[in-house]
Amino acid sequence: MSRLLDIGLEQLTSIVLKMGEAAEKAVRTSIAGFMGGQDVSEQVSELSEMLVTMTVTVEDKAFELIVKYQPVASDLRIINSYMKIAYDFERYGRYAWDISLTHQRFAASRKCVHNEDLMGKIVDKTMHMVRKSIEALRDNNGEMVKSLAETENEVDKIYSAYLDILAETPLAAEDGICNLLVIRYLERIADHATYVGEAIYYIATGEKIILR
Amino acid sequence: MNNKNKETTVNIEQVRPDAKMQSITLNAWFGSKQALKEINLTVEANAVTAIIGPSGCGKSTFIRCLNRMHELVPNARMSGQVLLDGKNIYSNETDPVQIRRRVGMVFQKPNPFPTMSIFDNVAAGLKLTGTKKGQNLDEIVKKSLQQATLWDEVKDDLKKPGTSISGGQQQRLCIARAIALQPEVILMDEPCSALDPVATAKIEELIVSLKHDYTVVIVTHNMQQAARVSDFTTFLYLGELVEYGDTRSMFENPKSEITEKYITGKFG
Amino acid sequence: MTNYILRKFKNRLFFILCAVCVVIAVIPLLSILYEVVSRGAPQLSINFITQKDADGGIGPAIQGTLILIGLTSVVGIPLGVLSGVYLAEFGNNKYAASIRTVNDVLTEFPSIVVGITAFGVVVLGIMGSYSPLAGAVALSFILIPIVARTTEESLKLVPNSVREAALALGVHKWRTTLSVVLPAAKGGLVTGTLLAIARIAGETAPLIMTVLGNAYFFQGFSSPMDALPLRIWRDSLQPYANLQAQGWGAALVLILIVLSLNIAVRMASRGRLRR
Repeated sequence: MSRLLDIGLEQLTSIVLKMGEAAEKAVRTSIAGFMGGQDVSEQVSELSEMLVTMTVTVEDKAFELIVKYQPVASDLRIINSYMKIAYDFERYGRYAWDISLTHQRFAASRKCVHNEDLMGKIVDKTMHMVRKSIEALRDNNGEMVKSLAETENEVDKIYSAYLDILAETPLAAEDGICNLLVIRYLERIADHATYVGEAIYYIATGEKIILR
Repeated sequence: MNNKNKETTVNIEQVRPDAKMQSITLNAWFGSKQALKEINLTVEANAVTAIIGPSGCGKSTFIRCLNRMHELVPNARMSGQVLLDGKNIYSNETDPVQIRRRVGMVFQKPNPFPTMSIFDNVAAGLKLTGTKKGQNLDEIVKKSLQQATLWDEVKDDLKKPGTSISGGQQQRLCIARAIALQPEVILMDEPCSALDPVATAKIEELIVSLKHDYTVVIVTHNMQQAARVSDFTTFLYLGELVEYGDTRSMFENPKSEITEKYITGKFG
Repeated sequence: MTNYILRKFKNRLFFILCAVCVVIAVIPLLSILYEVVSRGAPQLSINFITQKDADGGIGPAIQGTLILIGLTSVVGIPLGVLSGVYLAEFGNNKYAASIRTVNDVLTEFPSIVVGITAFGVVVLGIMGSYSPLAGAVALSFILIPIVARTTEESLKLVPNSVREAALALGVHKWRTTLSVVLPAAKGGLVTGTLLAIARIAGETAPLIMTVLGNAYFFQGFSSPMDALPLRIWRDSLQPYANLQAQGWGAALVLILIVLSLNIAVRMASRGRLRR
């Protein structure tokens, strides 16, 4: 028996999933551009703007469902979490755009990848977390939050190590800036991926878990 | 999607001395049809406990067992215990009439006494049970109507018939009538189902204010109402107690699949 | 003829048929009233109503009827009402079911049989003579089942929610019945009782063998007494025109008594409806 609320929930879910796809593409494109030396800021900016609009749509839709149906239990948790997740995806897009802008501003004249090994690792792990967070959403997998938290820890460690290296090495200011900015953005994306995992865990169990 | 593996039934085997009322393995029948099965439920003092569930699940039967009104139905019987302040109200030495004075009831359809005025209606409990000796009826009636938030609306019309006021006011009159006897527990059987939303809102506010002085048990088929007014919620299904807990948790994250299905409207 | 015209015709025909039946049914009533009023009205006078037979009045008959109504009511109404209360409030068992059945049979009992029974038990047995008490007993046999039945019906009309409200307050069952249910059923009780009284006021057969009739006013509980139905019956059998005329007068008085009781019922029930 399908409820009126179910139709609304389906619509809400599909928007959030689309946001996930767009956000993943934004991050992937910006990283590829950054690592491959291309200016992808226009593409990524388009995706980022689209994500901002979609966040508003999600909030709007969520409020409509609350007003009309006074949802409880799992329905309410889904609506609550999807609003959070939409914001997290919008952040993916925003940071991706920031990465592409940093590349655009600095890459031609600067060396933005000071330590290839660490940069490579942080890029891989962040991309992995983005993909996993979207998978968790699609499959409603609350258990994913644990592996996301572990990976986030690793990202934090790499971030710290990179910071140490940057601090100890005498670099030109702009070199330092663009390295720092990019790893910072990547670390924040990884944080938000963990939040997505926590929100999905809440849908599944009703528990508010903080594993950051 | 539900990856929970928790225990879904609540079994209270021990007597809780601080609880206002408690049912222990309560069963009830109408003839051969069993309406309640092994209900173990605690009613906390000075709190509002809501009982929800689909039609026919035994909600009304249950609260009627709490004030011994169930046995007034021909062919009705029960087994088990119901404790009020730790003492079984069904023991042989207990007078059901005394229990009903301590555990009052408000019904679904407002039922003021048709031949009595508003004043007499409120005073009826005192007059007819002989507990009015040495008491100032005027004061008691005024206080009860005030507590029922009806005083301001009827204070100049106390001699008018009890049935001359609106449905919502009649229901508050019935509440005042029940309160006049100073019961310890007030049972309410879907008190708002016959009322419009404005009257319902007034009564809900009243219910929340009552819990300072009384213990309230309310049966409702309106889940949002249960969420709004109650501190604890009980879910009954097919005569069994499926889940009991504080209202916030029950409505945010119910432990039982059946509860989840019912409150999200997936059945019933 | 089209269907429509045919239907209209059938409708009309049916309506006319019903109207004719109503007229036919009402004619006897109207003719009775006409006869009684036209023949009895000239008889009415203070003298007629207050004097005894010898002085050209039906005073004893009127007094007798009123005494009988009084005696029967004093005994019959409380018994009838309490029986009705029992059946309605406590009668959810098989004993009550059989009592109800017996009661229903009694309401249909031929009044002459009731009269003979009272004759045998009271006149021949207890009193040893014709007596107003015997008449009252016979009329009670008729009154009590009717009052019991109408009381039960009226009480059953009181919604159960009212009883529940009182019981939930911790009021004892007897007090609930007395102070809450009976007042609520008051209208129906009064109506039922008045109708029962109007019925027994006109009963003749039970009186023939119990009070017999008398030309004089009330003479004690061991003597026969007059009553309007008896008077009407006796006068109509007389060969004298003036006595027959008195019979019509008595008939008119009896009808007036019954009519006023019915009007009282009407006013009582209109009072109820207004509320």
